[in-house]
Parts: sequence; structure tokens; C-alpha cells
Amino acid sequence: MDSLHKPSRRAFVRAAGALAAAGASGSLWAAPTKDVVVLTAYPDAVVSRFEAAFEKAWPQYRLRIVWRMPHDALPYLRQAGQGGVDVYWSASPKTYAQLKDEHAFRKLPVSLEGLPGRVGGSVINDPDGFYAASEVAGYGFAVNPAYLHSHKLPPVADWSDLADPVYAGHLAVPDPVEVGFAPVLVDIPLQAYGWDIGWALWSAIAANAAFTGRGGTFVSDEIGGGRKGIGLSIDFFVASAVANGAPVEFIYPRQGGVNPAHIAVTAGSPNPDGAKAFVDFVLSEAGQKILVHPDIRKLPVRPSVYAGLPAGYHDPFATAARGGYLYDNGRGRGRAAPIAAAFGQAFVRPHARLVELWRRLHAADGAAWNTVWPLLTAPPLKEAEADDPAIQRAFFARRDDPAAEALAAGLEKTWASRVDERYAKAASLLGVA
Amino acid sequence: MRRLGFLLLVCGVLAGVGARASADWQVMDAGREAFARPLDGLTDAERERFFRGRSLFNQSWVVAPAKDDQVDGLGPLYNRLACISCHARNGRGLPPEQPDERMQSMLVRLSVAGRGPHGGPRPHPAYGDQFNEEGIPGVPGEGRIRLGWVESKHRLADGEVVSLRRPRLAFTELGYGAIGKVLTSPRVGQQVVGMGLLDAVSAQALAALAAERKADGVKGRVNQVWNPETAALEAGRFGYKANMPTLRAQIAGAFLGDLGITSDLHPAQNCTAVQSACRQTPNGGTPELSARQLDDVEFYLAHLAVPARRNADSEVVRRGEALFAASGCAQCHRPSLSTGASPRFPRLAGQTIAPYTDLLIHDMGPGLADGRSDFAASGREWRTPPLWGIGLTQTISEQQRYLHDGRARSLSEAILWHGGEAKVARRRFAALPAQERRALLAFLESL
Repeated sequence: MDSLHKPSRRAFVRAAGALAAAGASGSLWAAPTKDVVVLTAYPDAVVSRFEAAFEKAWPQYRLRIVWRMPHDALPYLRQAGQGGVDVYWSASPKTYAQLKDEHAFRKLPVSLEGLPGRVGGSVINDPDGFYAASEVAGYGFAVNPAYLHSHKLPPVADWSDLADPVYAGHLAVPDPVEVGFAPVLVDIPLQAYGWDIGWALWSAIAANAAFTGRGGTFVSDEIGGGRKGIGLSIDFFVASAVANGAPVEFIYPRQGGVNPAHIAVTAGSPNPDGAKAFVDFVLSEAGQKILVHPDIRKLPVRPSVYAGLPAGYHDPFATAARGGYLYDNGRGRGRAAPIAAAFGQAFVRPHARLVELWRRLHAADGAAWNTVWPLLTAPPLKEAEADDPAIQRAFFARRDDPAAEALAAGLEKTWASRVDERYAKAASLLGVA
Repeated sequence: MRRLGFLLLVCGVLAGVGARASADWQVMDAGREAFARPLDGLTDAERERFFRGRSLFNQSWVVAPAKDDQVDGLGPLYNRLACISCHARNGRGLPPEQPDERMQSMLVRLSVAGRGPHGGPRPHPAYGDQFNEEGIPGVPGEGRIRLGWVESKHRLADGEVVSLRRPRLAFTELGYGAIGKVLTSPRVGQQVVGMGLLDAVSAQALAALAAERKADGVKGRVNQVWNPETAALEAGRFGYKANMPTLRAQIAGAFLGDLGITSDLHPAQNCTAVQSACRQTPNGGTPELSARQLDDVEFYLAHLAVPARRNADSEVVRRGEALFAASGCAQCHRPSLSTGASPRFPRLAGQTIAPYTDLLIHDMGPGLADGRSDFAASGREWRTPPLWGIGLTQTISEQQRYLHDGRARSLSEAILWHGGEAKVARRRFAALPAQERRALLAFLESL
């Protein structure tokens, strides 16, 4: 045994690296690899696993990651030579649609056989073949059963349950102005229940909720930590926490929605063969299975993968076949931003007042409901406004275009004063100061 | 054998101190979130700060200039995009298993013979003090490192044969010319729980530990290292050779060395004189990591709780605990330390903790030596690594890899690599019957 601790000087130098002669030698020699440059906003838990598996499958390539959030990816891919990027891989349908319009992509060089182009009412692959979904995420409710039990709260199954005043103070809702995944979350009940009823539901839900912003706190922290009992969320944050032992369940409502992530090869890809290899890998059975790792927990887009997954793993294709997922993401993509902004003006900005008005309304008699309820629940904007392409463009471009910002800010002001007027009238009717 | 029995009695009592330690710094969680829990009782404002720090620790940094100007400035040369890349789930990193695999959570320290600024290692003139494989677009990375393993078989006293491996490195695709003779030291990322508590162990306490008389030829020294914040030499606490004096200095050093992110403690980019493209790229602010961001990351890491022990009262674990002490392991892997004053983070002050380290550097013999000195630490000296949480390695990291370069694939292998001042303890372990060895390992698994 002690021979290990008395190695020859030569062995010691070779093994421990002291004054090691540098350069390739012996079995450690290797042919140079070629970079595949991937622009993405995936976290390390996703990137590192795909990186390791791809480089094992394709040892001639080395993945080089350029990290950019979607709003920052657009200018990066607009620069000369598209920044040397081969593949764009991210969850931002709007950015993909915009880049396709700008001819930033080439037709996908891979077969999409076995990859359905839609989930229920949502189209997930580009019909013209410039980009394809690489995974989808669903939406629903994170629930802490122990919290519900200790607060004697009934279980929840669907959106309308959340409007019950019994849940007042027990919900956490992401602020859609601050939290990137939340605008789609807001639009799901607006599509499922219709515009007017959807906004009425949101008003009551918002009055029961506390909002979480873009700080470092996740809904899974709030619910898992027992600070709130129910949290609305995109699924993978929570599913990952559950898979790693958090005392939380995730409930998919009867009507949910999906948010696809996509993959595309840039028009100016310096390494198109490498780009093809990476896209092939991400969409392959092996690549799609990586998505189910407990630290990731996304929903694969290759239905054949679900057969081998743990019991209870959510299958959006099966759910859609049973009539779920009627959500139209094509319609939602454009209007998500104005809807989020209106939500912010109607519920987040005057939240304390909204909570108080609903509290007083629940304590009031039936006559008050006839007059006050419409004032609290009326949509802050017309559905035609949310679907107006000019308004949608203004909200999409407001970060970069002062004219767009002026239009968007003006609309927000209008919606805010509309809401404030209604709340003031409701307060007067309820005798609130 | 009679002497061993006496030691079992005495050291078993000493080792038991850890099990009775205050629980304020512990969390009851043996799952994959066990290294991610805050200390109990944080206020709402502290929780917000903790989670802000977590976001920054998990953040993938962005090439400057960018609209996300709070998190831009990656590189120009770097190893990985995020802190979490090398400390997945706040646990330890893993080395490549094959030469074709990249170093995802490992890095290689570099230096040349002689002393550098303030008495630390002397950086390589072209490649600096750490090999950065990656460069941002327009800046060549420093090259590739291929890591292979050399296996050797060894027979224990009871006939069991174990295979041990040591790493072998080669540089390829060098970006800045021949590297020549260079001292190298491969390192995997370390687990990051309990660092605030270790930061709060006073220099006087470390000096007292070093001054204690110990059996079996064990000594232990305090490394004296440069603190860029105070511009003075101070007691080292962090890093595999205790070459960092404080948690804050450790964080700022890693931000610069691993991600290429500057801070008030390290305002200059990590480019050498010959790396001209590196020196001409735009930065992400001066500094790139603001003082508030550094505060938040420090707060986060300082307030990560340590998982409580599991099965601590089972008979086999208690037997293993006594054997751990009797074999001499607890002379360095101290079952009990006390924290001193902690003016910035008062929750950490005055705690009795069970980190199973003395934070001292020890000669670990030629088998583990990297031949690269670091301040007062010689090429054979390493800091005693804390063992708290080590039993959750498989759960957190999904593999078991131990020691500074991840060469050990089990706790047994890690123990069998101990030499130098730990030679006697290792021999005692190797001489134990298999059942006793298993008991000692069961104790380690309970930490």
C-alpha cells in the first residue's frame, strides 16, 4: 500500500503535474475540435447536460455557448455575421417569429418526423420549416398540501377555484410585467373563459394573491417554504423542485397553455454541419430524454419519449388528445405584452386598494354586488385593443423605439385612469375612504 | 490493540461533541435541495437578499456590451459561464472521466517557479495563474486540457484489492504559444455550504489549533495569504490550500479567475501582456460585479445552512465515529470548532459547529502533492477539507468524486490517498478489518 505514497520521481511528476512537460503526448493527443456556437438563455442545469451529451455523441465538435436573454438575442443576431452564431436555442416564440421575418434563419436541415407540429390549439413548429420546438412548458398551480391542510383550505383543481375568497392571502401570482413566463399565464383563462369572464376571474384571483416579481424568489420557494399555499407558475420550476423532494404538488388546470422553446440554424452559420448535428441531437430521443432530468423537467416534443417516463409525468400530447390545451399560442404571442401591461395597471399597481375593495364587497349585501362587481371586474382594455397589431408592435418594440414606448406608455396611462375611475366609484358605493 | 481501545474510549468522547452541536446552523434535509437551504429564521429582507445572491450565483454571465448590463462582462477569458457551473446544486464538481470530455466543473491552476505578487504563486507570463479554456467571441481561448487517468492496484491488509487512479494532463490547441515548463494543479469545484461559519472562525482560534501538540506526527499550519480587501497577509481559510483569507475574497477571486468578472477587490481584467485581443475588448462596467452584488453573493453563501446528520445514533455509525477518532482522523478533521465574532453576519457568531476540519494546511505526502506552492503552503500541503455534508455527495452530485482533483471514486479511495502527516491514520484505516472499515465509512456517510 505504501508504494502509492513513494512513487518514483518520474511517476510523481507525470501524475501530479508538477513541472509537467506541456503539449500533447501519448494517448492524450487528439485532433482539434470544431466549434458549434449556440446562442441560448437556458440555465446551466440545461446547458451543461446537453453540452456533455452532445460532445460525447459528436466528439469532433465543441459547443461554445453565447448566453443572452431573448430581448438581448435579437440585436446580437442582427449584427454583421450574426455574431458567428450557428444555432439559436431559446424559449421566446415572439423572438423566433421576428427573426424569421428578418430572414435570420435557414430552413431546418433535419427531419421532423415523429415531431408533431402542434399541441392542441398551439402551433409549436414553424409551418415554413425555419424553426422547430425543442421542448414545451405548461402552466398550472403549485400547491403545498400541508399548508392547505393546516389552513383548512379545500383543494384546487381549476382557475375558477382560485377566485374563491377562502383563498384570500394564500395565493402567489407572478407579476406578468416583471416575470417573463407570466404573460401567457394571464392569457390562458382569457382565452379559455372568454374576455369578460376571464378578466373578472383575474380580478378576484388577484385580490386573493400576493405578487412575486423578478427578484430571486421563485414561486416554488414561496410554496415549498410554506409562505403561501398555492402559486401560479410555469411548470418546470415547480416540477423540478418536486422531483428534487420539495413538499409541493403541481396541478394542471382543465384548460392550460403551452409555451414552446425553439431551435433554429442561423442563415450565416459558419459551421452548418455542426449546427445540423446539434439540432439533430437536441430533437433526437437521446436529447429529448435529457429534458426529464429532475433538475430540468421540461416537456419533450417527441411523443415517443413519454412511454419510458416515470408515472405521472405530464404528457401534453395526451392531454390535448383528451380536449385540453385549446389555447391558441399564435393569438396569444402578439397580445401577451399588452395584456400583461394592462394586468399590471389593473391589479398590480393598485393592489392594496383592489384587495380592500374585494374584502368590503364580500362583506356587503346583494345589492352592492349588482353595482360594485362590474366595476371591479370590467376588463381594463378591449379585446380588440389587445389584438390590434399596431398596439402589439408598440409593446414589443418599446425597449428600443422611443415612439413605440410613447404609444405603449400612453395606453397604459389610459388603462390606469379607466381602472382608477371604476375603483373610485366602487369605493364610494362601498363607503371606503 | 489495547492502545487502540484506549483511543476509542477517549476519542469517541471527543468526536461526540459534534453530534451535540448547536442546531441553529443545520437543516433537516437529506435530499437534492440539502445544500440550498438558508439558515433558519432569516427576516423577509434577509430572505430577499439571500435569493438575490442565489440568482447571481446561478446567473450565466453575458458578453459585454449587453442590454442586461447588470450581468455583462463575461471574460474576456473564462472557464465557465456561471458560479453554479462548477458547484452544481452547491455541491462539488466532477472531473472528466475520459480525455475527450471537457472540464465542466474543474479547472487547472498554473504558475512558474518563484514567488508572485504578495508571496503567492508566480503567474505564467502568457497564460496567467489559471488556464481559461474559453474566450468570448474575438478573443482566442487559452486552449484545451485533456485529462486522462493512470490506474494502479493496491492490496489492503485483509487482502481486499483497491484500484486507485491519478490524473495526467496534456495541453492542446494552445492559443498563446508554447506553454513550456509550468506548474499545474487541477481542481474540482468545492461544495459551498457552511462557508459563512468557517469564515467566522477567528484567526486566533486557528493559531491555537496549529499550536496544539498532536499525536502521530500530525502538525498543521495556518497559511498566511494576501487579502486584497485589507492589503495585508491574513490567516487563510478557503481554497484547497487555504489560499483565501475570507469568504468575500474567495468569491471575488473566483469571479475573476473562473468567469473573468472584475470587482472592487480585483478591478483589472484577467489578461496577460501577450493577450492583446483580451486587453482590447469592452468591459461590463468598472467593476463588472458591483459592491452590492458582491454583498448579495456573500450573504447568500454565508447563510447557506449545513445539512444535519442522518443516522447519527445508529450503532454502526457510532462505532465508525469512534474508529474515526481512534484512527487519528479527528486530529485534523475536527468534529468541533467555535465561531468567533461576526460583525457583518451576527447570526454566525458564537456558534459551536461540526465542520470536521481544522482549516489548517498539512503535508499530505507525495501521492497527493501537486508540487505547486501557494503562499506558505508547499506543493505537498493541503488544507483539511470540511467533511460536513460529505455523506450527501452521491445525492447532490449524482456521482462520488473526492479530493482536490476528483481522483477518488469512493470515500475509501480518498482515505487511501492520505499520506504525509496523515500516513499513520491511513495505515490504521487500511489495517482495519473490512467490517470496521465499513463502520468508519458509515460514519462519514452520516455527515
